[in-house]
Amino acid sequence: MDGKREIIETEITMGTVHSAAIEPYRVRLFVEDEIVRDAEITVGVNHRGIERIMEGLPVEKANSLTEKVCGICSGVHLWNSVLVAEKGLGVEIPERASYIRIIVGELERLHSHLLYLAHGNEVLGHETFSMRLFYIRETVMELLRLIGGNRVQYGVPIIGGIRPRADLDEMKIQRISEGMDFIEEKVEAFAERFTSDPMVMSRITGVCPISRKDALRLHVTGPTLRATGVEFDLRTEMPCYEPFEFDIITQDGGDVRANLLMRVLEIFESIKIIRQALRDLPDGRVVDRNWEMQDTGIVKSYVEAPRGRLYHSYAIEDGRVRGSIIRTPSMSNIGAMQYACIGHHITDAQLGIVQCDPCFTCTDRAIEIIDLNAER
Amino acid sequence: MDASYSIISVTGTVLLGLIVSLWLPGIERKFVHARIQQRIGPPVSSPGLMAVLKFFYKKTIEPCSPLPRLYNSLPIIGFISALLILLFLIPPMYTFGALASLVAVVGFLKIEEVIYVFMGSLSRSVMSLRMPFPDLAKGAKHPNVQRYFLEDLSAMRAFRLIAFGSFPIYIALFVPAVMAGSISIGDIVAYQAANGPVLFTLAGVIGTVAFFIGYMILLNEYPFAILKTKADVIEGPYMEYASKYRAFVYITRGFLMFTLGCLFSVLFIGVPPNILSLGILVNLAAAAIFPVIMAVFSAFAPVFTFKQFYPVTAAASVIGVLALVVAFV
Repeated sequence: MDGKREIIETEITMGTVHSAAIEPYRVRLFVEDEIVRDAEITVGVNHRGIERIMEGLPVEKANSLTEKVCGICSGVHLWNSVLVAEKGLGVEIPERASYIRIIVGELERLHSHLLYLAHGNEVLGHETFSMRLFYIRETVMELLRLIGGNRVQYGVPIIGGIRPRADLDEMKIQRISEGMDFIEEKVEAFAERFTSDPMVMSRITGVCPISRKDALRLHVTGPTLRATGVEFDLRTEMPCYEPFEFDIITQDGGDVRANLLMRVLEIFESIKIIRQALRDLPDGRVVDRNWEMQDTGIVKSYVEAPRGRLYHSYAIEDGRVRGSIIRTPSMSNIGAMQYACIGHHITDAQLGIVQCDPCFTCTDRAIEIIDLNAER
Repeated sequence: MDASYSIISVTGTVLLGLIVSLWLPGIERKFVHARIQQRIGPPVSSPGLMAVLKFFYKKTIEPCSPLPRLYNSLPIIGFISALLILLFLIPPMYTFGALASLVAVVGFLKIEEVIYVFMGSLSRSVMSLRMPFPDLAKGAKHPNVQRYFLEDLSAMRAFRLIAFGSFPIYIALFVPAVMAGSISIGDIVAYQAANGPVLFTLAGVIGTVAFFIGYMILLNEYPFAILKTKADVIEGPYMEYASKYRAFVYITRGFLMFTLGCLFSVLFIGVPPNILSLGILVNLAAAAIFPVIMAVFSAFAPVFTFKQFYPVTAAASVIGVLALVVAFV
């Protein structure tokens, strides 16, 4: 409670099933006259033991299983899992495959951010904005289906490149390009309407702020961290993103407004990256099959998922996965979600949780917390 | 006025009100919300009529409530209070004196508001049910704290609404009374028959604004839907209603829309609802226009918290008071 007065009157429990939550999680809000004094978020309802299931599976199978970790950022899980294998096996992928992976990754970021904005507006009570954003997002989903064959689990990356069916021909490039124009126009119109709406602005400005200092203290990651003014985007450290020019978007305040605008502006950056990738798409193969399966030690890989830093690691033994660990961005952000609620109205508390873009289904996994001070 | 005319007028008007009110939610959802949100929307009969029929044929289940019978009877009480308001707006009923006055209207509207407090207090849904074991796991915060149900929150909010949320509509109701110099509905109608509708005066226009805001608050429509905010209390007082009792919730809401539309046309236009008169078209128009305008507003508004609710309600109340002052002048 950080030295706050310890008067807790009542508890309101929301969940594990609640209409404001896309996924099942449990929030305990400790309130005084509808003002949240403390909060506790509990996950665990959706724990599926994916790492345990992956244990001993052939690498390709295990990789495809990682796509089931999340229904929103499924592709980036597969991408990162494939990167682990490629790093361990020393596989170099064709440049064209790298570009297509980035196109898919950025399309996924678009659909994740649009989903976030739609969900945020739904929690805000603005159904019209929510519906319109889902309408815009539909274009992205169809583009992902066009590339990968599915709307949610497109399974583009494989070890050595991408699946040949996900290669881009002229028709696909044309469709993606048109889609980008459409999304840019619609999101611009939305942003203009959204920021000029006094009722919406009064509901989100200054609500559930996270300071820069607290964001760093709570290990916040991704757009939620950048919304507090910290200029850090893992994409700038990923070699595959080197050919592309894009800005790291930051906002000040870390409140709901900053977080929502953060995603809006990141949508434009993603569109910029996709356009560059389409323009400079190299010719050539999309998959390199000249690699040998061998044993590796534990290999770690980080990528910038739509919600922040995503970590995957495993070792390969006899062509099978051992000791897989996945840490999703929302795991880092849970602390911030709990912290952001404090001092705000109950209705805003859900908004404070949603502003951190929670994805609890990805996050649900067995963890062991070791208290380093316990022995002292 | 002979007895048969009165009976036909009253029963016919009430029946017409019932029939029309079943279509109002559909008009709101299909022709306004869906159009604005660029979607097809439900069939126009679905939200108000077919949903009601469907619920009547559903299996009746026992609500999670300490007093389930009382809880289930509350929507019916709400419906009766809305029905009584409409009843005493019909000209043959003006002979009932005090019941056909603004004091009675305010009283019946108060019943409408108070039942939400009871609904919220009597509901114990699974949505916020405590775990079958106490939160005593290692590291759990604040074990053994008193727990509220989500519906308790909505009950407290309903209580606050009674305190301040209903000011705008109640103040607006008395604008025509001030101009007519009487709180009797018959006198207000007679005054407007002689001097023209209150709506076409400055006080009437200002009063209409306050009335409309109050209308939205009374119907718990966005942005004033704090009783049933999806982000926290979900359905709020209505959470545990099922089958025919939920059907009554739907009927009551639609009927209240119609009744408040009629109330406006009586007080601000001077046209009482009477099926045996062409003036009923004015009532029907008011009953249809109000939900449409409300739907437009609600489609473009987020749900308020108290931070926005208090100033808006205060401003609407000030507008109402201004209308009263202008009416006095």
